[in-house]
Amino acid sequence: MQATSPVDPRVLDAMIPYYLHQFGNPHSRTHLYGWESDEAVEKAREQVAALIGADAKEIIFTSGATESNNIALKGVMHFYREKKKHAITTQTEHKCVLDSCRHLQQEGFEVTYLPVKKDGLIDLGELKAAIRPDTAIVSVMTVNNEIGVVQPVEEIGKLCREHKVFFHTDGAQAAGKIPINVNDMKIDLMSLSGHKIYGPKGVGALYLRRRPRVRVEAQMSGGGQERGIRSGTVATPLAVGMGAACDIALKEMAYDEEHIKALQKRLYDGLTAKLQAVVVNGSMEHRYAGNLNLSFACVEGESLLMGLKEVAVSSGSACTSASLEPSYVLRALGVDEDMAHTSIRFGIGRFTTVEEIDRAIELTVTQVEKLREMSPLWEMVKDGVDLKSIQWTQH
Amino acid sequence: MSLSAAARRSLAQRCSHLRRESPLLWCHRSSAPQEHDLGSRRPPQPWSSRLRSRAFSSPSAASEQDKPKISVTFVDKNGSEKSIQVPVGMSMLEAAHENEIELEGACEGSLACSTCHVIFMDEELYQKLPEPSDEENDMLDLAFGLTETSRLGCQIIAKPELDGMRLALPPATRNFAVDGHVPKPH
Repeated sequence: MQATSPVDPRVLDAMIPYYLHQFGNPHSRTHLYGWESDEAVEKAREQVAALIGADAKEIIFTSGATESNNIALKGVMHFYREKKKHAITTQTEHKCVLDSCRHLQQEGFEVTYLPVKKDGLIDLGELKAAIRPDTAIVSVMTVNNEIGVVQPVEEIGKLCREHKVFFHTDGAQAAGKIPINVNDMKIDLMSLSGHKIYGPKGVGALYLRRRPRVRVEAQMSGGGQERGIRSGTVATPLAVGMGAACDIALKEMAYDEEHIKALQKRLYDGLTAKLQAVVVNGSMEHRYAGNLNLSFACVEGESLLMGLKEVAVSSGSACTSASLEPSYVLRALGVDEDMAHTSIRFGIGRFTTVEEIDRAIELTVTQVEKLREMSPLWEMVKDGVDLKSIQWTQH
Repeated sequence: MSLSAAARRSLAQRCSHLRRESPLLWCHRSSAPQEHDLGSRRPPQPWSSRLRSRAFSSPSAASEQDKPKISVTFVDKNGSEKSIQVPVGMSMLEAAHENEIELEGACEGSLACSTCHVIFMDEELYQKLPEPSDEENDMLDLAFGLTETSRLGCQIIAKPELDGMRLALPPATRNFAVDGHVPKPH
């Protein structure tokens, strides 16, 4: 469950009234429709805040984590542009973070893209060395969407607080799945996404610390809704859905974790029992259980996907599935290009069943064996030839 | 209707402890124990002068002439400057209104809007101010053209350390008026 997740039926139940008879605009201050809609939005705000240990006044509803990331990065850099010209992020961030940073570079800001170690985690020493007096913000995602590794956010937060730099983290894949407390982790800004935690698509949130206050330049101008930071009518049913999803996630986090961990073990053991040369991309210890990114040597990822049509997996991530380039995240891990092309990302979630895991194992094993049967490279590997020593002729 | 300075002083003295209470209460206590009988009491003050005597902070019993003054320069969006003398204890919003400087105060200093937003041009003087409260920060979030040295004019109270401060007026406020309309001070 990485690209998205089904809406939990309980979340849908909470949302429906706000589409049908309780359809008021939450910013209408003069009648009952508006008041009850506003009340629902405020309740949802508290539910989102409770999930990450924040105060309700610190939550801004947006259209998704992409928008939240844009507001966080561009908003902070633009507001503090007189004195601060530098931002730090990692090479494995989500595309919206990297694109926002590239856009900022076009505007004249400087951005440092930190490399990651082989296991996908950043090196804290390198981060410390990269911080300059004119650094405004450090952005490191909590859980990576492609390889599922969990970055050491507590240590990063501590480091940023010492150097008086804002710490932004993209928590789209983390919130509701691993315990997060923005005060313990010294997080100043955080992006959340509704549809990754069994909520509706089209809604997300941005956590903005109030003490000490983080100021951002609004990216949407308008009537000043959401504390002036995100103008535009708040979509009550979507906000209510996100609130309900966060509430359920908070209550069921421990149970979901048990369920998902067991399924992940089953999948990994099932595949490695029958197949050789399967490599896990990213750290196994610092990992969110619902993500398993595997490379199968000598099998081309796209062809494997064609064979696995019954299983909704991707090579790389959803936003890169249209491009031909292998994943930049895997490249940052130092995975060779041929192995990067073979990677498949399996996602496991609250509603995944044991039967689905077993079927996925069966299909994957069949397909991999079939493709390896056809592969001249696999034959060579079995014969002990080192593929890297071969000089391929161009044609 | 306006009162003489002496009458205002004595009124302010009697009512100084009521500063934070509602104006309705103020009305009742300002005369002898007669209740709800509007006819026999002294005619009520016009809202604006009642507000002015309420909005003074502690040294309100003394007259304005006796208090030390600091000089403050307001710079408007076109760059033209106006220097005024502000008695210690008066808020910048008050001072602007008294000197006909275009600073809107839609909520009349009750921390419910962002229209008296001013920008400090000297960072050192900005640091000398007390930290803004959460409520002020919340209103500042809504201000048009917010900067790192922005504050609400109704919360900046004149004190000797702030002598010589320069305040820039932002190009617009959240009360939309693209046609150039300037609302009169309340």
